[in-house]
Amino acid sequence: MKLLKIGISGVRGIVGESVTPKLVMDFASAFGAFVGRKPVLLARDTRIHGPMLRSACAAALLSSGCDVVDLGICPTPILQHSVRHGAAGGGIAVTAGHNDIHWNALTFIHGDGAYLNSFQGAEVLDLYHLGRIEKADTDHLGALCGDAAAVDRYFKDLGAFLDAGAIRRGRFKVVIDACSGAGADLIERFASLLGFDLIPINNEPNGFFPHDPEPRPRNAQQVVSVVKAIGADAGFLLNSDVSRVSLVSETGESLSEEFTFPLVADAWLAGHPGVVVTNFSTSRMIEDVAAARRSPIVRTKVGQSHAVQALLHEEGVLAGEGSGGVAIPAFQPAFDGFLTMGYILETLAKSGKRLSALVGALPRYHIIKEKIYCPPSIIHSVVDAAESLFRGRAIDTGDGLRVEDRGGWVQIRISATEPMIRVIAEDRSKERARAKADEILHEIELLIR
Amino acid sequence: MKATTTLKISISGVRGIIGDSLTPQLAAALAQAFGTYIGGGPILVGRDARRSGIMLSEAVTAGLLSVGGQPVDTGICAIPTFLYLTKAHKAAGGIAVTASHNPKPWNGLKFISRDGLYLTPHQTEEYLDIYHQGEFAYVPAERYKTASAVSDTNEPHLRRILAHFDAAKVRKRHFRVALDCNNGAGAVLAPRLLAEFGCEVVPIYTEPNGEFAHDPEPLPENIAEICRAVRESKADIGFVQDADADRLAVVDERGRPLGEELTLALSARYILSRKKGSVVCNLSTSRVIDDIAAARGVKVFRTKIGEINVVEKLLAVRPRAVIGGEGNGGVIYPDIHPCRDSFTAMAILLEALADTDKPVSALARSLPRYTMLKEKIEGSAESGYRLVGALKKLYEGRGKMDLRDGLKVEFPDHWIHVRPSNTEPVIRVLAEARTPAAARRAIETLKSDISRLQKKL
Repeated sequence: MKLLKIGISGVRGIVGESVTPKLVMDFASAFGAFVGRKPVLLARDTRIHGPMLRSACAAALLSSGCDVVDLGICPTPILQHSVRHGAAGGGIAVTAGHNDIHWNALTFIHGDGAYLNSFQGAEVLDLYHLGRIEKADTDHLGALCGDAAAVDRYFKDLGAFLDAGAIRRGRFKVVIDACSGAGADLIERFASLLGFDLIPINNEPNGFFPHDPEPRPRNAQQVVSVVKAIGADAGFLLNSDVSRVSLVSETGESLSEEFTFPLVADAWLAGHPGVVVTNFSTSRMIEDVAAARRSPIVRTKVGQSHAVQALLHEEGVLAGEGSGGVAIPAFQPAFDGFLTMGYILETLAKSGKRLSALVGALPRYHIIKEKIYCPPSIIHSVVDAAESLFRGRAIDTGDGLRVEDRGGWVQIRISATEPMIRVIAEDRSKERARAKADEILHEIELLIR
Repeated sequence: MKATTTLKISISGVRGIIGDSLTPQLAAALAQAFGTYIGGGPILVGRDARRSGIMLSEAVTAGLLSVGGQPVDTGICAIPTFLYLTKAHKAAGGIAVTASHNPKPWNGLKFISRDGLYLTPHQTEEYLDIYHQGEFAYVPAERYKTASAVSDTNEPHLRRILAHFDAAKVRKRHFRVALDCNNGAGAVLAPRLLAEFGCEVVPIYTEPNGEFAHDPEPLPENIAEICRAVRESKADIGFVQDADADRLAVVDERGRPLGEELTLALSARYILSRKKGSVVCNLSTSRVIDDIAAARGVKVFRTKIGEINVVEKLLAVRPRAVIGGEGNGGVIYPDIHPCRDSFTAMAILLEALADTDKPVSALARSLPRYTMLKEKIEGSAESGYRLVGALKKLYEGRGKMDLRDGLKVEFPDHWIHVRPSNTEPVIRVLAEARTPAAARRAIETLKSDISRLQKKL
């Protein structure tokens, strides 16, 4: 079984199986045709096959008549910032975010710096399927160059957006695990920008991920032990393209990635109430936090593309997901790990509270996330049939099936990135959450058989 | 007539038109097949100065990486330098992005083995089998290799040439040399090489930007500017490189092009004066080479057209031939590297000038005189094949026939040669004789025979 997932704003798969130079070139050509003959920015994370996808993208874009500005190894939020503030027609991020090293992906960035929305994505896909991409002759080929100043511009703007002075006065000691991803090396710049003491972990941008590049407690052991040993004020874990963050408190507690978004929301909405966008799988914590700040919630399907599309459409003030991705559109409509870390440090500095205290003030839920393999050929039928499990109850079909109950909710949905059915259950009681998830998993196993 | 195909995959590599037949997808697939064929180790990736080179070299890099290849970028690089470097760098192979002298809309790929030679016809067949079957040896993340770059592409080749020739002797003469690289890949090394030989360079089109200033074929009608520059600057000699710097044309000190055939002739005569050994050239090369070899009592071996054929023979004869080449200005001097090399040809000719103390025109005048006429008529390879069959019957018993590449017929005072081209859908028609009038008569007779036969075919 070759895994290939074509999403709204890109395509991902296992390199050497579904991700081949031809596939990458065909998609990059389609994207080149979509943006017209305008410059396209390229960035990649540190994955070992990143240069293959980069070269394939560059060749295809040049051949479509687009100039290519190669940012090299560069976090996606910096690419997005650079696209937004330049004359580019768009960008391509070569990164598989939190997936393991066998995966890679192209994510397409619109000229406004956001992930392609569903309409734009459909247009690229139509061009891809049509397959008749006009190719430039020798005189109209694009030119290839770099942009050494992109990172400087980003950090300059970030420093101006955050209250760097307040953070500096907090004299924080912070542990950051860059997971040898695109954030490695740059976290030192980030630390000197905001004036905190950095203890970097896995800070070589070499693509040899020391653990899965998914920020969550399972991968947090190193950060936890360093935070405890040196008495740091906070610990952060990044994914491979710095779009997601999870936290470790000063007590050494590794916090579920679900806490990142409500923690930022609680502080940001206090000064900027407004529409908050999140997906159907994110913890109910955000509902309680937003309600307290008189901010309505809009729920979308999972993924940055959906979240940001709704954010822009609803003129929201904040978007985020339980996976640790947060976008503050006043800075840029993109999940941005540097901004997330910086804003949390600013919140610590201004509130004078410890991270454990800020987290302790959030309502506590227990969320169980499970997944089960299902052949893609029957995956939709299985989820449709699972409706029978919730007979007589109000089912929200915004993304798979989602049903609320007294203590929380359960959701069954198809993964956007793998041939998996995800089962998510949340409850105030840990036992009830576990029991709800197990029951549904069992039923779905029966359906798959 | 059917529309002419703009993609040519042959023993000379692949050529096509950018934006039409030669796409990044095709280049990547060819590189994947090559990477699969080579099986591991560093593979050099270089390009001539064409604007489309960077696009194709990125595509080739992606293709190589995907099958576990280890691309090493040489950047813009003349083809002889690239071949030399493949061997010197102990690479497992090389892919050169170049379309030699094809016009600007074209580009292509050439595939090179670990010896720094073009793939032989047999190797090409094996490699193309992999391409056509489309079974590429994709590797997972764990087996990916890292791409790298060569820091000084030109240094090893330059040093090798300077060490081999008597640079000190040439330097003393302070030659003034007009140089036309036609803005091709030769420009990255030729001015530096000449400076190392103590020459004052009069540069004409020495920006390696791929914007060919004239038809890249170094024929006399395309090189009027350097002829004028030689006269105006009172240069001792003028050198014209083709777009990928494997071939060299020479202009004498009076600003007259010598004609491509004399580049090899002058080089061979000088080398044979220093070293005894045989000469290898292709069937279409001027008879002047036979006269030169005869004067030294050495043999000439002739081969089918195609650089690799000459090189294979040159390496196969025992003792190894001392020089070889093609009448189109391609000089092959195996002491440097067994490939056509305009830089080495320049070094030979400069040393010959320094050695003999005569002007270029005098050196050329002392060679036996022939006139060669080269024409082409439209026609596919298949129609060329049938034509050759019919001509063979017609000329049976009239001269000495050679059927290794089309039909060559040798007469005591002239010869004719008809063959389908490897790189274009045309039939090449050549004749050489002692005088221009005799050559004209020979080629016109041949062409009228051909048109008579074509009506019957």
